[in-house]
Amino acid sequence: MVGVYQVHKSFGTVQAVRGISFELQPGQIAGLLGPNGAGKTTTIRMIAGFLLPDAGKVLVAGFDTASHPVVARQSLGYLPEHTPLYTEMRVGEYLSYRAKLYRVPSDVRKRAVDWAATRCWLGDVLKRRIGTLSKGYRQRVGLAAALLHNPKVLILDEPTNGLDPSQIRETRQLVRELATDRTMLICSHILPEVERLCHRVLIIAGGQLRADGSPAELTRAGGSRYFLQAREARVGDAERINKLWATLPFVAEVSSKPAGDKPTQSVGWLEWAILARPGSPDLREQIAAAARQQGILLRELRAQAPTLEGVFMDIMDKAGEAMTDPEQATTQVIKPGKEAAS
Amino acid sequence: MKGMGVIARRELAAYFRAPAGWLIIALYLLLSGLVFSVYVLRPNSPASMRDFFTVSGWLLMPVVPAMAMRLFSDEIRAGTLEALLTAPVSTGAVVMGKFTGAMGFLTCMLLPTLVYVGTMYRVSNSPPDPGPIICGYVCLYLIGGAYLAIGTLASSLTANSTLAFMVTLFTILGLLFAAAPADDAPAPVRSVLYSISIVPRIGDFAKGVIDSANAAYFLGITFFCLLGATLALDQRRWG
Repeated sequence: MVGVYQVHKSFGTVQAVRGISFELQPGQIAGLLGPNGAGKTTTIRMIAGFLLPDAGKVLVAGFDTASHPVVARQSLGYLPEHTPLYTEMRVGEYLSYRAKLYRVPSDVRKRAVDWAATRCWLGDVLKRRIGTLSKGYRQRVGLAAALLHNPKVLILDEPTNGLDPSQIRETRQLVRELATDRTMLICSHILPEVERLCHRVLIIAGGQLRADGSPAELTRAGGSRYFLQAREARVGDAERINKLWATLPFVAEVSSKPAGDKPTQSVGWLEWAILARPGSPDLREQIAAAARQQGILLRELRAQAPTLEGVFMDIMDKAGEAMTDPEQATTQVIKPGKEAAS
Repeated sequence: MKGMGVIARRELAAYFRAPAGWLIIALYLLLSGLVFSVYVLRPNSPASMRDFFTVSGWLLMPVVPAMAMRLFSDEIRAGTLEALLTAPVSTGAVVMGKFTGAMGFLTCMLLPTLVYVGTMYRVSNSPPDPGPIICGYVCLYLIGGAYLAIGTLASSLTANSTLAFMVTLFTILGLLFAAAPADDAPAPVRSVLYSISIVPRIGDFAKGVIDSANAAYFLGITFFCLLGATLALDQRRWG
């Protein structure tokens, strides 16, 4: 339904997107994640037809956005970032204008406007000027305008931006309902929202696709973290304890820092963070046993299951290293499995 | 050109939603009304609206850039261009829609001046010749259209509407007075300067003559500027 194939886009000397490829299927909600300047908005704008790729191609509902732009854009509903609207128009007028622009037949136009306005909780502001509305209401006007023509593909850039908590919940519900027979791509920087809403997550950094899979697959690909506080018996023990954790099976990474905010309560205590390899068993017993054997005093040991946020941060760290060290530029992309497709 | 009419209607309505639109019409009618009542409507003078059309042609010089400056600049600045260029409408239809909407506003501005024509017919002993009057309005449209197209192109190039206004105004001034240094220029340059200058053509129009070369000149400017605006907007898609 949406196909992005080896797409490149540069602005002057800046390479915003460097060879991104993915396909999105109907009934699937995909989330596009990435830090600022990663190439998310450029990618979305190329799908929406606002930008054309320098190389590669983008298909929307089977139509190339470069050779068949009008038909491709007809199949697409798009909520741009910052929700640009004509502030001098009234809400009802604006929705009616957008419906005409998207060629909604005149006999069903009023029904389409009423439906979109009701679904986006705009019934009581239809006669208000857009310029007098709050940010949340404007966001809903933008969302309603994207839905009006019942598009097969919906692209929403930060759809819950400016909404209050109950509206965020209702918008999530709306997105789930709309996704049953549509292809949806949501761009967001709110990781828990993407985790809760999306069947598939695409992570972009440095203009490249760094990860692609269902939230569960991506989370599994990250390792659990263990946080513990232990005391060094004498100066220099920290190094010995570091080595001990690092030599344990399944441990991928070890880091330490002084424990606690109040030095008087934490003299000699250090806090370690141990990152386990993906798919490893619970390491708490192993860590505790090793500490006891080596006479290290533990006062805290807790495990944290892998989270999307953790995986995201790891990918960002690796992307940062790859940007500075080209030898590490190859990234592992987790292809969408059964979970993502369902 | 599907979608052009929808964009044109929104554009025309947008002029009347802002005080600036009403102000432009009011100022134009005030000045053209003054010209009509002081210079045209004189006792014992021939029933001719020539002075009205000449002054109206000059008045278009500051008025039309003011009408055109916000056409795309405001959309670029506010980000609404993204919503417009991702709608299922070709870039050419977007430009033509905007231009047609602005021409509609020009019509709304010129329409009340028919009152002057009616007054002429009412107060003149011998009714005025309709030929030069029709010709005068056609010429105002041709000049207004060309100025608007220049303004549309300038507006499509920048997010700053004041800059678009200035560029349009100076381009029009350049075209108006291109013939001024012509007499001192060598022969080939002189003929080029005369051919691109607007002033001699306005003189022809005021006489009630629609020369096909003059009409082609204004229509040519309109066509190439609108084409330029379409290309400028398409260029934005390429980044």
